[in-house]
Amino acid sequence: MGALANAKQAGREAVLAKVKEAGLWEYGLKKEALFDKFERASEGAAVEAGLNNADTDRVLLALLKNTPEKVLEGIAVAGFLTGTESLSLYLPESESELTESLKEKAESYGIQLFNEIINVRAAGDAVLLHIVTAADLADLMDGCYQKGVYVSVDGAPLEKKAADTGIGELVPLGSAKAVKLGYRYYTPAEAEGLTAADATTGLIHVLTDKDCIVAETRNQMTEYRKASCGKCVFCREGLIQLEYEQKETTQARGKMEFLDLTKEIGDAMKFSCLCSVGQEAAKAALDATEKFAGEYEAHIKKNQCPAGVCTSFVHIYIDPQTCTGCGECLDVCPADCIEGKAKYIHMIDEFDCTKCGKCIEACEEGAVIQTAGKLPKLPNRLTKVGKFRQH
Amino acid sequence: MAVITIDGEKIEVPEGKNVLECALDAGIYIPHLCHHKDLNPLGSCRMCIVQVEGHDQVEPSCMLKAEDGMVIETQNEEIKRLRMLALELLLAGHPEDCSTCPKYGHCELQVLIQYIGPKTGRMKMRSKGFAVNAKNPLLVHDMNRCILCGRCVRACDDLRGVDVLHYQKREDLEVYTGTLKNKLLKDADCRFCQACAEVCPTGTIRDILSTTEKSKEDYVVPCKAGCPAHTNIPEYLRYIKEGDYDAATAVIREKLTMPKTLGYICTHACELECKRRLVNEPMSIRNLKRYATEHDSGKYWRGKGKQLADTGKKVCVVGGGPAGLTAAYYLRKQGHDVTVKEALPTAGGMLSYGIPSYRLPREMVQEEIQVFTDQGVKIETGVRVDQPKELLKEYDAVLMAIGGHNGVRLPMPGKDLPGVLVNIDFLRKASMGQETGMGHKVIVLGGGNVAFDCARTARRLGAEEIHVACLEARDKMTSDDEEIEQAQEEGIFVHPAQTFEAITGEDHVTGVDFMNVESFTFDENRRAIIKKEAGSEHHIDADTVIFATGQRPDITEEAGLTLGRGNSITVTDIVKDKRTSVEGIFAAGDCIYGTKSVVMAIESGREAASQIDRYLGGDGDIEEELAPKQVKDPYIGKITGFAYQKRRQPKIDPAEMRQNNFNLFDHGLCEEDACAEAGRCLQCDLRLQISAPKTWADFAKEAK
Repeated sequence: MGALANAKQAGREAVLAKVKEAGLWEYGLKKEALFDKFERASEGAAVEAGLNNADTDRVLLALLKNTPEKVLEGIAVAGFLTGTESLSLYLPESESELTESLKEKAESYGIQLFNEIINVRAAGDAVLLHIVTAADLADLMDGCYQKGVYVSVDGAPLEKKAADTGIGELVPLGSAKAVKLGYRYYTPAEAEGLTAADATTGLIHVLTDKDCIVAETRNQMTEYRKASCGKCVFCREGLIQLEYEQKETTQARGKMEFLDLTKEIGDAMKFSCLCSVGQEAAKAALDATEKFAGEYEAHIKKNQCPAGVCTSFVHIYIDPQTCTGCGECLDVCPADCIEGKAKYIHMIDEFDCTKCGKCIEACEEGAVIQTAGKLPKLPNRLTKVGKFRQH
Repeated sequence: MAVITIDGEKIEVPEGKNVLECALDAGIYIPHLCHHKDLNPLGSCRMCIVQVEGHDQVEPSCMLKAEDGMVIETQNEEIKRLRMLALELLLAGHPEDCSTCPKYGHCELQVLIQYIGPKTGRMKMRSKGFAVNAKNPLLVHDMNRCILCGRCVRACDDLRGVDVLHYQKREDLEVYTGTLKNKLLKDADCRFCQACAEVCPTGTIRDILSTTEKSKEDYVVPCKAGCPAHTNIPEYLRYIKEGDYDAATAVIREKLTMPKTLGYICTHACELECKRRLVNEPMSIRNLKRYATEHDSGKYWRGKGKQLADTGKKVCVVGGGPAGLTAAYYLRKQGHDVTVKEALPTAGGMLSYGIPSYRLPREMVQEEIQVFTDQGVKIETGVRVDQPKELLKEYDAVLMAIGGHNGVRLPMPGKDLPGVLVNIDFLRKASMGQETGMGHKVIVLGGGNVAFDCARTARRLGAEEIHVACLEARDKMTSDDEEIEQAQEEGIFVHPAQTFEAITGEDHVTGVDFMNVESFTFDENRRAIIKKEAGSEHHIDADTVIFATGQRPDITEEAGLTLGRGNSITVTDIVKDKRTSVEGIFAAGDCIYGTKSVVMAIESGREAASQIDRYLGGDGDIEEELAPKQVKDPYIGKITGFAYQKRRQPKIDPAEMRQNNFNLFDHGLCEEDACAEAGRCLQCDLRLQISAPKTWADFAKEAK
C-alpha cells in the first residue's frame, strides 16, 4: 500500500502523532517542526511544494528525478493533512523536461506543476513544503523513514547522512580555501564547527587554491538573477549591482568602493526582499566580501587573481627574441587575433585575445608566454625575425 | 476600530486597514510608488517603509495592517537612507531624460525624486535597450522607462480580470512586463480598457490619444465628447448589453430628444471618434441606439423627469424642426407656456420634408412629436412668421429655429433653365407626393448626404439614369460612406472631383459640362483653390439637373433681424449666447450655423432653452436624471478573440428590392447582434473610475 493510502487509513490525528513522534522537520531555510507547521495551518490550506526559491544548486531535484512517486505521494499526504485538493509543485524554470516527465503521475495525484518560483506574495496561508520534507513524509507513511539529511559533495550523487555529521568528516578541509555549504560561504575554520544539516541545499562545495572566490560569487549572482522573479526592487536591481561589482573586479576594473557598496546593498537586501532569493544572494555576497576580503583586495589593489582564474589579470605575449615566425600559433588561434607572416615576428592583439592558451601549447619554441606581471617591450608592427631591438 | 499613532499623531482607523492608506487618508504623506489605491498591495518598491515601535526591522506600510495601539514612525535617518537606496537602485535602470519624456510633469517617479532628493552617482547605470513598441493600437509601450512597479500587471489581472500582462524576463535577464511570447495585444485577447496606461506611474505604457489640449474625460471617452449633446454612450451601451433597453433609452433621453429618429439618421460623430475604430472597426452606436429606443417601454422617462410649475411666461418658437421642438420641450419643462409655429402642414422640419421616408418613416417622426405635445408644447401648423418682432407683443421671448429651407443655385450658365431643380423643393415635393418636374435622366450636383437623398429619391420616382457629381475627391466627400455605397448599389453613378462648367441647353436642360479636378485645396484665407486637368472637358446628357449645393434660411432683411454669412441669423455666440440683434428674440439650429445635423440641431435647441429660461428668470438648469444609477463592474474578464470581433451589420434589403419604393430598407440589428455589438465596447469610461495617484505635490499643496 502507498503512503497516501496508509495515511488515509490511519486518519489525520494518527498521522500527525506519527510525524511528531518521528520528529520530522520542514527541510531547508524555513526550518520548523513539521507537526507544528500542520497544527498551525488553517483547514483547507493549499499545499505548495518545491525547493527553496533561492536554491540554485538544485542537487535535491535528484530526489524528484529518481523517486518521483515518493515526493508526489508526500505532497498528497500533506494535502490530506490540511484537507485540501489544491496541490502544486514548483520546479525551476529550466526544468521543463522534468515537468513533462512528471506530468502524468502528478495528474494522478491532482498535483499541478509549475515552472517558476513560489510566489510568496500570493501564497497567502498556503503550506509551503520542501520536496525533501514531502519525501520524508512519504517515507514515514511507508514505514521506511530514516533520520538524516541528504548531502551531495561537489555534485556527487545524494547520500543520506546523519544530521550531526561534521563537515570535516565529509570533505577534506585541510586543502580548502573556503567551503560553500548550502547558500553560504564559510572559512575552513568555521566549517569545522558545522554539520551536514547546515548544507541547506544539500550541496557541499569545497573551494581550493584553484578557485577564485570573486569569480565564484559573480557566477552565483548571475544564477540568482536567473532565479529571481524580478518583482522586489532590492532583489532585481540589487542583484544587478552586486553582479556588476563582482564582474568588474574579476575583469581588473575593481574598486575598493565596490566592497562598501556591496555591503550597503547586501545588508539592505537581507530584509528588503520578500523571499529567499534576494535574502540568500545578499548573504552570499556579504560572506564573500567580508570573509575573503583579502582575495578581493588582491584583485583590486595588487591587480592579480591569486587563483589565476580571472583571465583579465593574465597577459599572453609572443617573445620577439624567441619567435621564429613559423605560423603554428596563428593557425590554432580561435579568436584570429595573432598577426604575422613567415619569418616575421608574430604579435597577439590583446583586445580580442580570450586567453584560451591554445597558442602556448602550439608553440614548439616556447615563445608564447603567459604572465601575470607587466609586458616587456613588444613590436608594434610586423618585424623580420631577428630585427627587433629591445632597447 | 483601532487607534494608531503615526508620527505622534493619533488616528482612529478600521482594524486591519493598510497603514499606508490610513496615513494618506489622514493627510500624512508617506512616499510610495508601487502602491495604488485600487490595486492589491505588492510591497516591492520599498518607498513606503516605516518603523513600527517594537518591530525589528522597517517594513513597507502598504503591507502593514493597522492594529490597535500601533506606534509608527514614517521618517528617521535609517528610513531616509533606505528609501534613497531603493530609489538609487530603481533609477540605475531608468533613463535620465525626463525633459524629453512624454510623461514629463505627470510622472509619479519624478515627483518622488523631488521628494526624496537627488541621488548619488555611485550605482552602475544601464540602458535596457528595449525597442519602443508602437505596434499596438491605442497604447504605446516603452519598457526602457519601466520601473517594474507591477501596477499594470495588477490592474490587468486583479482589477480587470483580463490577465494579459505578465512579468517576463528577456534572455539577458532584464525583467519587463508584457504579453506572453510578446504577442500583439490583439492576439493576447487584450480588451483595450487602458487601465494599464492609467495606473502606470511613469512614461512606460502610454495612451496614444492622451493630450493636454483636451480634458482627460474628453480624450479618454471620445465618443461622448464627439457627440454634440455629450450623450453618455458607454453607459447606455452597457445597458443594451445587459438587455435593459428601458434604462439605455433613459440614459439617451437625459441628453437628447427624438432618440428614435437619431437611431435612424444620426450622422454619428461618436462612431467617427470611437476608439474601437483603431482596434478593428468602430462600434455601431447608431444602430444600437435604434435597437434600444425601439425596445423601450418608456418606464423611466414617460411622464417622469422634470416638470417645473408654470411660470406664467410665454415663449413662441418659430419653426417646428428638431431644434425648435427640442427648445420648446425643455422650455415647457421649465414651466413656460410654449407655442411652436410651423409654416408647413406638419411639424418635424427636415425630418418630415427633407430626409426621405425610406430612411426615416414618417409615422415614427409623428410619434416622436407626440412626446413634445404630451409634455404640453402647443404646435400650430401652416403658420408662417415673417415679422418675429410682432410676436414679442404677445410673448415674453421668441426663438427663431427656422432651419435652412431655401436651396442654393450655383452662379453658373444655365442655372435657371427649365429642368433645373433645387434639392429642398425637390425633396419636399417628393415627400408630399406632388409633381416634382423631374425627367428621365438626372444629374445631381453636390456631394453631401442631401445630394444622395435627391439621387436616391429620383431613383425611386422612376428616373432611368442618375448621376451624382461633386467637387470633392471621393475620400473628401461629406456624405456618409454607406450612403455613397448604397446609392451605387442602386445603379447611381458617382463622379467625384468634377467642376461644374455649365448647364447646357437652349430652352430646356440638355446636360452638364464638367472638367476633372486635379487638385482642390484651401489657401490660408480658407479660399478654395481648384486646379483643373487640362483637356478634361466632358459632357453628361440629362434632362434634369438638381442643385444639392447647400441650403439657406428662408428669411430676408425685412424680418428685422441682422443676417450674416449665407443668410444666417446673426447671434452673439453660436454656442454660448443665442441672442439675436433684437432683444427677446433668440435663434438656434441650422438657421444660425448653416446645414449640419439633426443631433447638432437638438443640442442647439437644448442650449437655447437653457438660455431663454435664464432670460425669463429661471436658473437655466435643464439637466435631468432619468436612468437608474449604473454600477459599472470594473472586472471585465477575458474574452478570446475580443479584438477581432466584427462590427455587426444591420439587415439591409438588396438594391432591387428597395430602389423602386419609399419603404424603409434598413431593418437595424437583431437582438442577438445588438447584444453582441454592445459587448464589443471597450468601456473606456471605466478608466475614469480609477483613483488618481496621491503624490507629494498634492500634500505639499494642502500643507500650504
